[in-house]
Amino acid sequence: MSLHRRPSPSSSELASAAALSRRQLLRAGVLLGGAAAAVPSLAGCGSGGGGQALAAATGDPSGALQGATLKLMVNQPHVVAFRDLLAPEFAKQFAGTLEVTAIPYDQLTSKQILDVQGGAGEFDVFDYFYFGLGALVDAGALVDLTDYIGGDPSIEADDFLPSIYDVYTKIDDKRYGLPFDGDTHVLYYNVSLLEQYGQQPPTTWDEYDAVARAITEAGDGRVYGAAVLGQQVPMILGCSFVNRLAGYGGTLVDEQGNPTLTTDAAKAALQHLLDVQPYALPTPLQVGFDESNSAFLQGTAAMIDTWTDLGLRANDPANSKIVDGWGVVPLPVGGPNTTPRTALEAGFGLGVSTASQQQEAAAAFVAWATDSTRNLLLASYGGSGIDPNRTSVLDSPEYAAASAPATEVIATGLRGDPLPWPTDVQSPKRMQDLVDQLALALSGSQDVETSLSKAQEAWERSA
Amino acid sequence: MSGTTAAAVRRVPRWLSLPPLVAIAVLLVYPTVFVVAASFTRTTLARPLQEWTGFANLTSALQTEAFAGSLVRTVVFAVSAAVIATVLGTAVALLLRARGGGFGVLGTLLLLPLVTPPVMVGVAWKLLLAPAGGALTSTISSLVGSPANPLGSSTTALGTLVLIHVWQWTPLVVLLVFAALLGVPDELLEAAALDGAGALRTFTAVTWPVVAPTVLSVLFLELVVGLKVFDLVAVVTSGGPGLSTVVASFEVFRTGLRGDYDVGTAAAMTLVLGLIVGVVTAGVSALRARAARAEA
Repeated sequence: MSLHRRPSPSSSELASAAALSRRQLLRAGVLLGGAAAAVPSLAGCGSGGGGQALAAATGDPSGALQGATLKLMVNQPHVVAFRDLLAPEFAKQFAGTLEVTAIPYDQLTSKQILDVQGGAGEFDVFDYFYFGLGALVDAGALVDLTDYIGGDPSIEADDFLPSIYDVYTKIDDKRYGLPFDGDTHVLYYNVSLLEQYGQQPPTTWDEYDAVARAITEAGDGRVYGAAVLGQQVPMILGCSFVNRLAGYGGTLVDEQGNPTLTTDAAKAALQHLLDVQPYALPTPLQVGFDESNSAFLQGTAAMIDTWTDLGLRANDPANSKIVDGWGVVPLPVGGPNTTPRTALEAGFGLGVSTASQQQEAAAAFVAWATDSTRNLLLASYGGSGIDPNRTSVLDSPEYAAASAPATEVIATGLRGDPLPWPTDVQSPKRMQDLVDQLALALSGSQDVETSLSKAQEAWERSA
Repeated sequence: MSGTTAAAVRRVPRWLSLPPLVAIAVLLVYPTVFVVAASFTRTTLARPLQEWTGFANLTSALQTEAFAGSLVRTVVFAVSAAVIATVLGTAVALLLRARGGGFGVLGTLLLLPLVTPPVMVGVAWKLLLAPAGGALTSTISSLVGSPANPLGSSTTALGTLVLIHVWQWTPLVVLLVFAALLGVPDELLEAAALDGAGALRTFTAVTWPVVAPTVLSVLFLELVVGLKVFDLVAVVTSGGPGLSTVVASFEVFRTGLRGDYDVGTAAAMTLVLGLIVGVVTAGVSALRARAARAEA
């Protein structure tokens, strides 16, 4: 190794180095100053909490809709309802325009928060998940419509189904929207497959297992006893778990809002998902809407617990090979519980964005789109993805004719005491935490008790 | 610098540098400042930069069950995919070069996976590997005599994603290494042949020294692509089954934009991921620099 002694710097070099150092210091100062200035400005990008309130309309609220152009951010599966059904009606009735933007269901709440908090403010009306309501209100994304709704008797708020009205729209005694899609689950079955394999529609989860097993084993890979939706998102695996939880008599939280995920009912519900896996359309963790609906409608899956509007699609020859060949029963029960109970699985409300520049027109649209005439139109149309939100629609002969033979089962579920998901600000995170743990159990990475204990801890931490 | 050049430089107004400086500030400085600021504050999607929390977000990130595992998975995914793609791509490039001529129609066909949008790649493989009715799974099942579902098992899902990633990104290696092979002097190859060198000896003594910097650069590139993988995971497995294919970028997405809306913790995760990416790529970068010096 050779050592080279570095010559001493000259005075000019030292001066140059000092100058360089000063320049560097100046640059660093400017950068840090910029950063310091940027942080408060970044913070100014959004300040959530506490939305605006809209006063009761003076005069005819629908007058605000004449010639209006409204921008709507909607759940992707609802695009037919807005674009093909509501938009033409809106144009005809008010000479107005609806500009519909469809968002995938797993990004809907975050996009709505970002539209307001990011400063874009592009939309007037949000088609929102009810279990994301707390997060949207916390973000200041929804206008408080309490006075507006209270001041307009033509909205006929008493006609909204009591089981969904408050839970879909109310946070801390304030109302932020109106129910749009009263989503519950029922159990559909393929009549000819059950007959072919000598099975009866199940009333308990144990019977459901037996039917699924009998058909899958005899089906030899051509048909499966059940399609179990298990993709790892709240809208899918969360619904499948909650269906069973309701059937076993459990809840997600108690009356004080404390999580109840380690109860016997919760354990039985998850154990049931595990037990049915070998006899379900492979493989539940990979099965989402498309795979499950397709398998049922094509006649390769004998049972599916899903949304009530599937019956309308099942009777559409363009989409279905089982037209008039399906039946429906309430979700099965299990354990000590003998009373069927459905669950409010990912329903939707319509609300007004706080960033909207035409909030009165947006609120009038929300009232118009959720009224009984519109709800009957949408709930009776196969492919709209919309279910009843009003008692009058549920009782109407038109809806009964369209949804037969599922009408009575749907009505019983919605008129009863369906199990709701939490709607507080932490609800989206909590449901994702729960679904992660359920998926770990289903993948065989951990047992039922560990999964539910971890989910319970996560929910308690986020309380 | 000659006097003429210096004068020319002096004639260029300094304000012309403003557009690129603004672009850098908007595209690089602002997001970086935001990520750093968010990682040390309580920040949600709805309410950014609420209050200083020190290292709480970092602690929260490292305590998250999914994130710690996702870091390991990310490194395993990126390193294995980069090595396999580089070795495979180099081999294909050598074969293409050995047959003589240019890249040809065959070479162009080999590039198809590279120009296919990643989401389409994901959708196509998801359909091919569907547990019921998937063309590839049906074939495998009939060959092995039992149901095959490589994406449905925690033990095989990540490996399957690696293979899909390799399928998509190997053509890039082929393209770049083939270009480097064109730079191997023919006279050296002829001299080696005259000296009686075999194929292996010719490769190690003549070809490799010329293409090594390119191959290592491609390895570096593949590594970076692998460390950033997101779309493939999002489309094909969504992180499942369980958490077995949750990689770091997907976990950042889940934490910040799906469910949690905890942008502060997601930002802390991003910084940790950036650190790991820096460490892993620095090693490969050093190798590449050494190879370049050796060639010079």
